[in-house]
Amino acid sequence: MIEINLVVNEKPYTLNVEPSERLIDALRNRLGLLGTKEGCGEGECGACTVIMDGKTVNSCLVLAAQANGSVITTIEGVGNRRSPHPVQKAFVEVGAVQCGFCTPGMVLSAKNLLDRNLKPSETEIGIAMSGNLCRCTGYDKILRAVKIAAEEGAK
Amino acid sequence: MKSSVIGSRVVREDAWGKVFGQTKFPADVNLPGQIYAVVIRSPHPHAKVLGINSEKAMSLEGVVTVLTAKDVPNNSHGVLFRDQPVLAEYVRMVGDPVAVVGAETEEIARAAAKLVVVEYEVLPAVFDPEEAMTPAVLPLHPNLRPTNVLYHMPIRRGNMEEGWAKADIVIEKEYSTQHVDHAFLQPEAVLAYVDERGHMVVQTATQYAHYDRGEIAHALGLRFSQVQVKTLAVGGAFGGREDISLQIIAALMARYTLRPVKMENTREESFYSHSKRHPMKMYYKTGATKDGKLVALEAKIIGDAGAYASWSINVLRKSAVHASGPYVIPNVSIDSYAVFTNNPYAGAMRGFGAAQTVLAYESQMDLLARKIGISPLEIRLRNHFKVGSTTATGQVLTGSVPLDQCLAKIAPYLERGGDSQ
Repeated sequence: MIEINLVVNEKPYTLNVEPSERLIDALRNRLGLLGTKEGCGEGECGACTVIMDGKTVNSCLVLAAQANGSVITTIEGVGNRRSPHPVQKAFVEVGAVQCGFCTPGMVLSAKNLLDRNLKPSETEIGIAMSGNLCRCTGYDKILRAVKIAAEEGAK
Repeated sequence: MKSSVIGSRVVREDAWGKVFGQTKFPADVNLPGQIYAVVIRSPHPHAKVLGINSEKAMSLEGVVTVLTAKDVPNNSHGVLFRDQPVLAEYVRMVGDPVAVVGAETEEIARAAAKLVVVEYEVLPAVFDPEEAMTPAVLPLHPNLRPTNVLYHMPIRRGNMEEGWAKADIVIEKEYSTQHVDHAFLQPEAVLAYVDERGHMVVQTATQYAHYDRGEIAHALGLRFSQVQVKTLAVGGAFGGREDISLQIIAALMARYTLRPVKMENTREESFYSHSKRHPMKMYYKTGATKDGKLVALEAKIIGDAGAYASWSINVLRKSAVHASGPYVIPNVSIDSYAVFTNNPYAGAMRGFGAAQTVLAYESQMDLLARKIGISPLEIRLRNHFKVGSTTATGQVLTGSVPLDQCLAKIAPYLERGGDSQ
């Protein structure tokens, strides 16, 4: 076992993890953060996206041990019913949510873009969301929601 | 009429839970004391299982049990016919489940699954549906059909001889489509347990909870009232969750061990454990007059049902009904077939057999237009269904048929000749 220290959703944790344990396993099984989804386990689908030290990563491709010393945001750390993040609000209002399995990863990719760039172009939005697959093929509304969230945030 | 509902936007009630990551999918539910189950699948497309040795797997610490065909009370399920085994003694496709191991953790279950030794007698397999149709090939389901032809749908309209006599231009081509996987984003997952009443509870993502319930009850020898299927958030389906995948196997393991049983497919296992879109071979012969009016169509459509029937009959029926496209053709002869092979089984997928034929009939329209010397738009305008048109199956269209409006919208695209020019 390896001892790691990390901050998840603004809370510090010390965890003992297996050498082969992935970050997604530590988040889901040790911290009970089940909003992080596993779609493919090989970094193709982006359902397991989390923000690690200001960058989006596929948590299925990061070993838990590699996250030692890092600051992580999962979907549970973004907004709530009383005060949703502008991205979450836009996703709901535009109808960018279908089966919902890609949604946490989509929201995190969009949030991370807007954290860095309040006035993204359509191309920048496209690039930021390109690591997240939606098999319901709801891309049009997802991209529109990110655009609306950017406009709201820029106000 | 003024309404506050029609024409206004509605926020779907599950949207908020999904954007906050609160929604429970089957992979997200767990119970204290649960074990994990992993399926051992056949690497052969056609084989008899001669024996299964689970001694080595059982000797691994943390393994609870290994179940095989002999442990299934009624070893069959299926949406149209119960032609699919829960755990196979006779394998008809790569990926057929032959055994399931239950263990204290997922890691142990996966390690143990590799230690289960299955002895097979490998049989010759057939992968080409046209070959499978020939009488020389032995039927895969002799109890269901004397040959591998599961289904034939003929459609006849008008008089073919007259039709061909009127045709100034005839285009004859073959088209084929491939297997497609739904690849719904959430791989299959199940939590099955026996509750305090002794009833089997199965929590899963399904398109067809009431059917799952019946098949679980049948396979396990339980009454309907003893089985409860709870549909959690589905995580995409597109037809791929209409058949049984892990539901019965998980319930079987729960019944034997009296422990809650969790199963989660990897993406690779998911590819093996649900249906595919039917690959189709389509032979099309379409005739038109020199002024661009369709006069005759002869089509033969062969759908690869793969190893099990699933929804193949309904799918190939739909292919036949849609084979002439949205066009008036007075003389039609269509034959659509669903054929068993040792390929992965095919079932429901978005469009349900109507999608494949589009490739054939629309390509034929473009080729006819080019040969006649009119635009792709013009040939469609001269032939599309209107109110009062009769389809190839004899249906008179009396309702809304706004194809002219659809064509008007895409007219600039079609007049350019599509993307190619």
